[in-house]
Amino acid sequence: MKRMWKIFVKGLVVENPLLMLMIGLCSSVAVTSSVSNGIGMGLAMTFVIVFAELVISLFRKLIPNDARIPIFIIVIAAFTTMVDLSMQAYFPALSKSMGVFIPLIVVNCIIMGRVEAFASKEKPLDAVVDALGMGLGYTWVLIGIAALRELLGNGTLLGARIMPEAFQPILFFTLPPGGFMVFALFISLNLWLKKKITNGAAVREAA
Amino acid sequence: MKKDILRLGIALALFAAGACAALAVVYTVTGPTIAGHEREQLQASLKDLFPDADGFVEIDGSIRSSVPDVTVLGSWKAARGDATLGVAIRASASSYGGDAVMLVGVATDRRIAGARVMTLSDTPGLGANATNPSYFVDKAAKTTFPGQFSGKSVLDEFEVKKDVVAISASTITSKALTSIVKEAGAVGSAWLEANASGGSR
Repeated sequence: MKRMWKIFVKGLVVENPLLMLMIGLCSSVAVTSSVSNGIGMGLAMTFVIVFAELVISLFRKLIPNDARIPIFIIVIAAFTTMVDLSMQAYFPALSKSMGVFIPLIVVNCIIMGRVEAFASKEKPLDAVVDALGMGLGYTWVLIGIAALRELLGNGTLLGARIMPEAFQPILFFTLPPGGFMVFALFISLNLWLKKKITNGAAVREAA
Repeated sequence: MKKDILRLGIALALFAAGACAALAVVYTVTGPTIAGHEREQLQASLKDLFPDADGFVEIDGSIRSSVPDVTVLGSWKAARGDATLGVAIRASASSYGGDAVMLVGVATDRRIAGARVMTLSDTPGLGANATNPSYFVDKAAKTTFPGQFSGKSVLDEFEVKKDVVAISASTITSKALTSIVKEAGAVGSAWLEANASGGSR
């Protein structure tokens, strides 16, 4: 149980895919101009990574080593297309505002990276737990960045006006440069968090 | 070596077949719902442009764009009984964040009955204000960006920053959308000229 928990939490801060491993960055800057996009993208990507890791872990002994990358891509692309179709059918508004970024989950390095580094070697249950941790690690960062950018850049949260009427939205935060700046702030926040966590663990071990 | 290639090929084919089967199932389940959404949205937009019309007939292929930048994707005749009220044209042009699609209504009096942005992926707070119902190019009259085209004569200039108010800091989007309305107005009124029977000219 403790081992599972360890696999799960590492994706949140210590090995956060975006802020520590620094993979899958394009989508995170591109869709985080509004919170609803951040939530939608985070959940869609979590769904894809959980099922891709599960399937690949289940079949890991049947996947020939030399053909593993194309097989990974087939599996990831299949789940991404399922998410895309389901979103178009049941959440048309969200699907419209996410546009091309849902199909682009296929080439999200986080999924490819975790499938290659983890799911292709570990047991199915561990792989699912790893995927959930990574997916949540990705989602909280997206929502955090999106909240800050939407609040400062548009004066709203989830489309509802938060800032007073007199507040003049700072467009800079909606545009890509602002996205990069907020992203950098989150990296430093995460480094600080990681330091606290690893220091805490060291103290516990010493005691 | 040869055996190896065969083995890899078969493994790959099996995984592809499995993925195909799974996708086919999802597609069959979601397909009708997606098509339904698109139809509903189109009908609602057509009704929105021509509230007096009681039927819309698709015009097949006879309306084409005359400029290379704008593509006509579809067109419908708005009718009330036997009279033609106007024509609605769905057209696209390349905009800031990819292709923009608009539905433009042209009335028989050679005026734009209305324009709606159907698809636009653009920067929130900037170009995406084209679809924001509370972004006004004329704050006093509460006119939205596509709203300003309603009632405009198709013979107007359609020049951004002259007779069309641009979305602030989004000239590319403003120009692309304006070019769609202009072209739709031109080909739409030409079609009405040639085909409208019983319309008020």
